[in-house]
Amino acid sequence: MSSLPLYVLVLWALSALVQLIALILLFAKGSFRKLPFFTAYVALNLCQVAFLVVVYSVWGPKSPTGMILAWYSECVTLLAQALATTEILKATLGPYQGVWGLVWRALAFTSAVVVLVVALATHGDWVRAGWFELNRGYHLTFAAAVIACLLLVRYYSIQVPATYKLILGGFCLYSCTEILIHTVVQSIAKKAFYAYEPVWQSSTTLSFLVVLFIWVAALWKPLPIEVRQAAPSSDSIYKRLSPEINERLRELNEKLLQLWKLEARPQ
Amino acid sequence: MNLPLLLLFAFAILLVLLLAWVLRDPRKLPQPDVDLGYAEDPDRRHVTYFPQVRQAMAAEDSAFLASRASEALNRRVRKERRKIALAYLACLRGDFLKLWRLARVIASMAPQVGAKQELERLRLGLAFSWRYEMIRMKFLLGFAPLPELGSLSEVVSRMSIRLETAMKDLGERAALAAKLASSLDGRGLDTP
Repeated sequence: MSSLPLYVLVLWALSALVQLIALILLFAKGSFRKLPFFTAYVALNLCQVAFLVVVYSVWGPKSPTGMILAWYSECVTLLAQALATTEILKATLGPYQGVWGLVWRALAFTSAVVVLVVALATHGDWVRAGWFELNRGYHLTFAAAVIACLLLVRYYSIQVPATYKLILGGFCLYSCTEILIHTVVQSIAKKAFYAYEPVWQSSTTLSFLVVLFIWVAALWKPLPIEVRQAAPSSDSIYKRLSPEINERLRELNEKLLQLWKLEARPQ
Repeated sequence: MNLPLLLLFAFAILLVLLLAWVLRDPRKLPQPDVDLGYAEDPDRRHVTYFPQVRQAMAAEDSAFLASRASEALNRRVRKERRKIALAYLACLRGDFLKLWRLARVIASMAPQVGAKQELERLRLGLAFSWRYEMIRMKFLLGFAPLPELGSLSEVVSRMSIRLETAMKDLGERAALAAKLASSLDGRGLDTP
């Protein structure tokens, strides 16, 4: 622990305190019943802080064992983050069965594409980059997938409760800042990463702290009561009308194209 | 900073911007209720005014005016007519967009949504917007393919009739669901 600067330790302590407040709010307001995975995520993050304190005290932050254990603990929290996000998206889109079906496919597709791009971009660099690249790749995939889902939600004019929106926004913001920080640190540090580790540690903790404040503000109010949506329309309405509407739209587009191709004719 | 890192950085910035855009105030989003109201009032459709617009823009009228009136008057009339055409085209686009949104409402309430259909509609919507802008430019530059607007109006009109029927059906279902929900709430089943 002694090798970490004081300001990093202070940021860690502050982060742990805000996480504890978030956890208390989740239980006090009864939100943990609706968001069990998100509650688990906050609890796991808090446990991770305690775990890292022990690991760094025993092995030190620069030892290979300490580093591997720290990254393993990160994997657990990242998995919890993915589950918590899916839970919130499901809670928002649950009543919209059709859109939810489309969203999870979009999520899978976007994730696959981004994973492929990240793999290609870092091809041949795995041994040196290792965990660092994996972590950034995850955040890239995560942010792209969630934003793709939010775009679909917006496209269908579905109202997302403010609390859920802030939680999802917080997750995405954290992932985006992680990508930015990783990229900047990587470009500055090149191979001398250890020299910049405190900068990386403090900046990522600071960005997470900002997100935690957003979540605490969101969790201050109880979660919205589930709004019952109108009964879904019968499947036949969509199946009958959707191709027909598309056909009309296509027809309209063709007319527009004809208009565009008309010879210029001054009036 | 090498190229892959630069691309990553740019992508992250793009994601942040997109995030800010998708999380904007929901009050600024189009409300489906407005569209439902629109569907119930067919008189508000601008396509219905096409005969009047066509009459006002008839080529015979222009020829007649050109043979009788001064060049200044002719110019003024052309300018006025172009204004009318542009306003009409804008209204037509408004009709199209409202119907397009209605199609999205139908999709959002459907138990199963076909990705192929949705992607196709998205593509068509984007193509429409692009072509509309091109035609608008054509009008602004003084070229007027007005007779073709009749076909456009017809397409929009036919589509709205089909959608009105569907929306009426959906409205009845929504009312039934609301009634059911309120009766369940009355029994205390909605306690959080």
